[in-house]
Formats: sequence, C-alpha cells, structure tokens
Amino acid sequence: MNVQDVILKLLQKKYTIDQNIDIESLNYVENGYVDSLGIIQFVVELEEEFGIEFTDKELSDPDFKIVGKLVKLIESKVMNHEKS
Amino acid sequence: MKKLANLFYDAVKLNPQKTAIWCDNKSVAYNELADLVSKYSNFLLKNKVAYGDHIGIPMNNSIESVALILSAANLGVGLVPINPTLPLDAIKTAFSFGNVKHLIARQAFYEQVDKSGGLNVEGEKFCIDGEYDNTIPFSDALNMSCVRPIIKEVSGDETLIITMTSGSTGSPKPIDLTQNNKYQRAIAHISLYHITKEDVILAATPLYHSLAERLVIIPLIIGGTSILLPRFTPNIWLNCVKDLKVTFTIAVSAQLSQIAELLSSPFIPEIDSLRCVVSSSALLEPHVKNELIKKLNCEFHEMYGTSEISTATSIYFKEAINHKQSVGKPLPEADIRILKDNGELAKANEIGEIACKTKLMCNGYYGMPEVFKASLQGDYFMTGDLGYLDDKGFLYFSGRKKELIITGGINVYPSDVEKCVSQLSEVSECAAFAYPDERLGEVVALAVVVKPNCNLGKRSIQIQCARNLADFQQPHKIFFVDELPKNAMGKLEKFKLMEYVRLHCPND
Repeated sequence: MNVQDVILKLLQKKYTIDQNIDIESLNYVENGYVDSLGIIQFVVELEEEFGIEFTDKELSDPDFKIVGKLVKLIESKVMNHEKS
Repeated sequence: MKKLANLFYDAVKLNPQKTAIWCDNKSVAYNELADLVSKYSNFLLKNKVAYGDHIGIPMNNSIESVALILSAANLGVGLVPINPTLPLDAIKTAFSFGNVKHLIARQAFYEQVDKSGGLNVEGEKFCIDGEYDNTIPFSDALNMSCVRPIIKEVSGDETLIITMTSGSTGSPKPIDLTQNNKYQRAIAHISLYHITKEDVILAATPLYHSLAERLVIIPLIIGGTSILLPRFTPNIWLNCVKDLKVTFTIAVSAQLSQIAELLSSPFIPEIDSLRCVVSSSALLEPHVKNELIKKLNCEFHEMYGTSEISTATSIYFKEAINHKQSVGKPLPEADIRILKDNGELAKANEIGEIACKTKLMCNGYYGMPEVFKASLQGDYFMTGDLGYLDDKGFLYFSGRKKELIITGGINVYPSDVEKCVSQLSEVSECAAFAYPDERLGEVVALAVVVKPNCNLGKRSIQIQCARNLADFQQPHKIFFVDELPKNAMGKLEKFKLMEYVRLHCPND
C-alpha cells in the first residue's frame, strides 16, 4: 500500500472523504477529518506504520496538515531511513 | 405513550416539501426522508431484523444515520451506536453489554476490524457505503418499497438507544434510553428553550452521543429543520450557522471555547440568525462567555446534566450575572438534592454529592438492574459530582467524586488508560489524570513510574495507547516520575498529581 493510501485510510476512520475533494491540497485538520483529540493517535499510527519518527519541528510545520505535503515528507523520511 | 416514528410521520404529512435535514452539503425534504426511513425499515425487516433486536453501529454524522435512528424507532429495534475509533476489544465489550445481534458499518470499519481479527455477530452484517465480503450492501435498501411498515408491538417503551458511559475495555455501563425517554427529553428541551417548527437546529457533536441524537430528534418530530454537522471545526461551525441560518444549538463548552477564539479574530462574518445557544458539559470561562454573547447576538444558556438524567439544571446568562459560577436551577421535570457522605441532606451552601430525581431519567443500565439500583438513593440518581445549592436553589458544581477526565466534552475513565499502559512490562505503576487545556478543557495526562533497570520512552507508551485506546483516550502529556504521590496508607493521592508533576517534571 502506498503512503497516500495509508494516510487516507487513517483519515477516513470516522468520515468518508468526498470524492470531489482535491486530496493533494486537503488540509485534514482544518476540514475536521482529524481533530484535537485524534491528532496524537493519527501521528503515532503513521510513525508505527512507516517505522519513522517525526520531529517536533515537522509536527508544528503547517505543511504537516496537508495530505500531499505529508505524503512527500513521509516518503523522504522512509527513503532516508532505508539508506541509513 | 408517544412513539417517535409516529411523530415523525405526522410531521411529514404537515411539511412534505420542507427541508427536514441538511448534512455535508446535502439536504433532504420531509417526504424524501420519510421514503428513506420506510425503505430502510422494509429492508431491515426483509433481512431478518426483528422487533426487539439490537443493532451495533459505529456511527458517523450523516443523513443515513439519522434515517436509521428513525427506522429503528419505527421497527421497535434498539441501536448501540459507538465511536468508530474504539479499539476492537472495547467494541466487542460494548456490543456484548448492549446485546447486539446485527451490525451496520462502513467498509473502512470492516477492513479495520478484519485486520485486528474480525468481529462476529449472531445476526446479519450490513455495509452502509458499498460492498464488502460477507455483508449485505445497504444500497439494496433503495430498491425497497417506500410504504411505511407498521409493527403492532411497538409501544414506545422499548429500547431505542444504548449508549455506553465509557469506551472502557473493562465494565462499561450501558445506558438504556427508550423511545419514551428520548421523547420526554426532547419535549423538556422544546419547552425550556421555546423551540418551534420555525427553528433551524444545529447538532455539532457525534451522533453516537445522546446530545446530537436529541438535537436531531427535536426538529424532526415538530416539523423543524435539522442541521447535522458532519465534522466539527470552529470554521465549519461558523460557516454552517451563517449559510444555513441556524437559530438554535446546544454545543459542548470545549467547542464554544474554540468558536469564541475564532470569533475574536478579524474578518469573521457577522452572525445574525441565532436565537439561542446553550453550552453543556462544563462552565465556560467568563471572558469566553462574554465574547460569544457579544459576537453571536443571541440568548445564552448553560446547563448541567449527565447521560443518565439528561439536563438537570439550566441558567440564562442574565441570571448568571448574580449567581456567578452557578449551573442554574432545576428544570421543572427535575429535583436536586445535595447528599452528604452519611446520606443526610446537606444544608444550603454545604458541599455534598449532587443527586437528582427527574422525569427524564434513563430506563436504567441495560441488563444491569442491580448496578443501576446501586447508583440510586431512593428515587435520586447519585451523579458522582460534588456541588452545593445556595439558599435560592441555584446549583453550583464543585468537582467530581468519581474519577473522570472530561476532554472536549467526552468522558475518559482514567482506569481505562492506566490498564492499557500497565500492560507494558517496563511499567511499575502509572496514573492518568486531568490536565487543564485551553481548547479541550482538560486533556489526558499520565504519570509513569518505570521499573528499576528498565528503559521506557514516551514513544513506546504512545504506540501502546494508539493501538489499544480510542482517539479521545490518548494521553496528551506523559510524565516520568520516580514514584507516585501516596498517603501514609500507601493510597494514591490523585488530587496531588498535578502539583506533583509540576514540581518533579518542570521541563515537561
């Protein structure tokens, strides 16, 4: 399963994302797919799924909340992890 | 005895073309919703769902979910709605306590539970949003007749909703709400807040909680319009209120704090449709309340209650000026007493446990009459909350007797979190406690003592919790301590934990 599919599965635990929404630019926090209560679980599940750990800086970057940007971040972290 | 489905179909006859419900950019008129309810009812009957059966449902906010609630009322069937993010063990416990026979869920839910070992039910499994192995697609319901099936046995006394007091893996208390309970509660709120069929009523909390169910049922039995927020963010809430001209809502205080924060920023559109807003769950900070009253231009009430007794007291903000920090006077249906530890009545201004006798009381804990009886003193339900009445009969909330963390309006039982974390072999002991939070009121915090010569990081604890607890139960703060504060008898003193971690973990 690719990175985007994993993210979409986790985001849709409670709500199905409308098919007409542009996934790349979707801000999943502003649109309520993950709320303040759910964010910790979402982050930990991503870390566990991909065997990575996000830094505080990455977590506080506004880009972290955009699906497309998050996909790129995870892909680069997975690649670096594999190289090392 | 009033039957909810009859009241709904009566409203349909009087308002066939009127918008009954809006959710996620889709609106449905009364006659269309009635067709959907009838089709769902016929479909469930055809697929062996019978009067008195219980259906488990990981419920999301959608028009389909509302149609299912009305179909259940029509058929005399009970629903056991749950938070879809609950871990599988907690789901199994909830369904077992709620005597669930059938299951209605989304594809994503079935995929998730199958990954964790699967979930068996005695009856039928339905997939509400597509096709999934060994389930019946709910889309077939749309081919059914839209003639309403009438089930003669339905009296209004049967269970409609069983709501769990906790996402616990231990022993949840399944609160049994009959159609009649739901009706009485709806009528009490209609009367208290002068709700009419002209109102456009917003439900912005999850439908698996009784507040949203009530806010949806109220308009649909009197011919009003229900607005069901698919997901909550302050922005979605404000835009929805403005665009759909919402006139009435009850929100949890944590939501209102976030809305007030947004309202204080520039470029916020003027809100002029609201007639009345009610805050529930916890008292708002005065500056938050003032900001809301100023910007929302409407009546403002606060209320106190529990799932077992519904709303017990309510206060209008103008009354609150002279009774600061009061949660109000009892509703006409309710009577409040303050009981001391020895069972005697407390005097005015004396703190004790809040006990409530009310016509809005639930039907008990499903299948656990003895447990419910134990929580009563005579006809009064012991809330587990501490408070006092002043000499004019206003109630003041002072704290909780039972251990509870309320985060974003949702109850978390510390023992659920502690049980989960204690399973890590490196943990000697741990304690979960409420940590103040501006957005959510409180968040779950955890103090952990690690066994000698063991290493344990926050990440391992977070992973353990992510795997075994629901989203709202996740600890937002984790503190490692050498020991937990205890009294001379070795009993944990939880009330000291906040101060203890401040002193011992100043950098966390």
